[in-house]
Amino acid sequence: MPKAEGARNFTQCDSLLIGNTCGAHTVPYIETRNPTARVEHEATTSKISEDQMFYCQQRGLSPEEAVSLIVNGFCKEVMKELPMEFAVEAQKLIGISLEGSVG
Amino acid sequence: MSLLSIRDLHATVGGNEILKGINLEIGPGEIHAVMGPNGSGKSTLSYVLAGREGYEVTRGTIAFKGKDLIDLAADERANEGVFLAFQYPVEVPGVVGMTFLREAYNAKLRYLGKQEIDAMEFLKFVRSRAKTLNMSDDMLKRAVNVGFSGGEKKRNEILQMAVLEPDLAILDETDSGLDIDALKLVSDGVNELRSENRSMLIITHYQRLLNYIQPDHVHVLAHGKIQRSGGKELALELEAKGYAEFSEEAA
Repeated sequence: MPKAEGARNFTQCDSLLIGNTCGAHTVPYIETRNPTARVEHEATTSKISEDQMFYCQQRGLSPEEAVSLIVNGFCKEVMKELPMEFAVEAQKLIGISLEGSVG
Repeated sequence: MSLLSIRDLHATVGGNEILKGINLEIGPGEIHAVMGPNGSGKSTLSYVLAGREGYEVTRGTIAFKGKDLIDLAADERANEGVFLAFQYPVEVPGVVGMTFLREAYNAKLRYLGKQEIDAMEFLKFVRSRAKTLNMSDDMLKRAVNVGFSGGEKKRNEILQMAVLEPDLAILDETDSGLDIDALKLVSDGVNELRSENRSMLIITHYQRLLNYIQPDHVHVLAHGKIQRSGGKELALELEAKGYAEFSEEAA
């Protein structure tokens, strides 16, 4: 906003790759309208490793259950900031996106 | 009937044959130690039994409780009662220890056609198992193995074993990286889980662990085969002489 003096922004973007055929490109786009604004951006990209998958499976979780557990753990930090209705929707969306993603 | 019956097992990893004809019978309630020089195939044996991808059985059979183990996927083997305590337990960020334990426990119950356990009941159960290992509630609230010291990771492996109550526990170099205090704690935890219905396969390079967890049988694995078997005195003999006599590959 043009009149916001000394505004600060921190944008964090974390990607989790599932499987071997995907990649992530993270390009920050932050528009500032006041020269005193401070903006920061941080991005991480991680992958569900084969080791993590085997560890979960060796404890009795199917590949689908393992991916679901790891993905939900990954998303937890953001989910817990959302109002309840959004969190429930987001949870369902993740479930639908994961269907058919394993095997 | 043997709990685990391995006959002429050959296995390759990345195209290399590592196991070259393993024969091993483990009866219920027995503790077997497999010792050997580095690179002999000890960890490969544990991964082949647990069903890790990339480890291919090219010949031989593995029967577990009378069933063909090779036919089962890794998670099915786990739910049938095979547990592997990893040498290097992996971190699972974002997944709380207690949640992980409960998911694993319920997966087994579902596999057996039983009802899932109540959360409060499960908490009490886990706490009772965590006592011997000196593990606090706080540790279980952390993500699985994230930021754990080597000793804490190994204790966490044994806690999982105590909760999942396997019929066959494979301990892959559980003593590696542990100081005496941690070794004692882990050993106490393992010894508490001895039962006539539970067998253990202890894979170790050093004899030291076997002072704390006394085996019934000791086998020397070198060049992909079991070269010699004996009682627990064999471990002491190896400690005195080392693995030199097994360094030449047998004809």
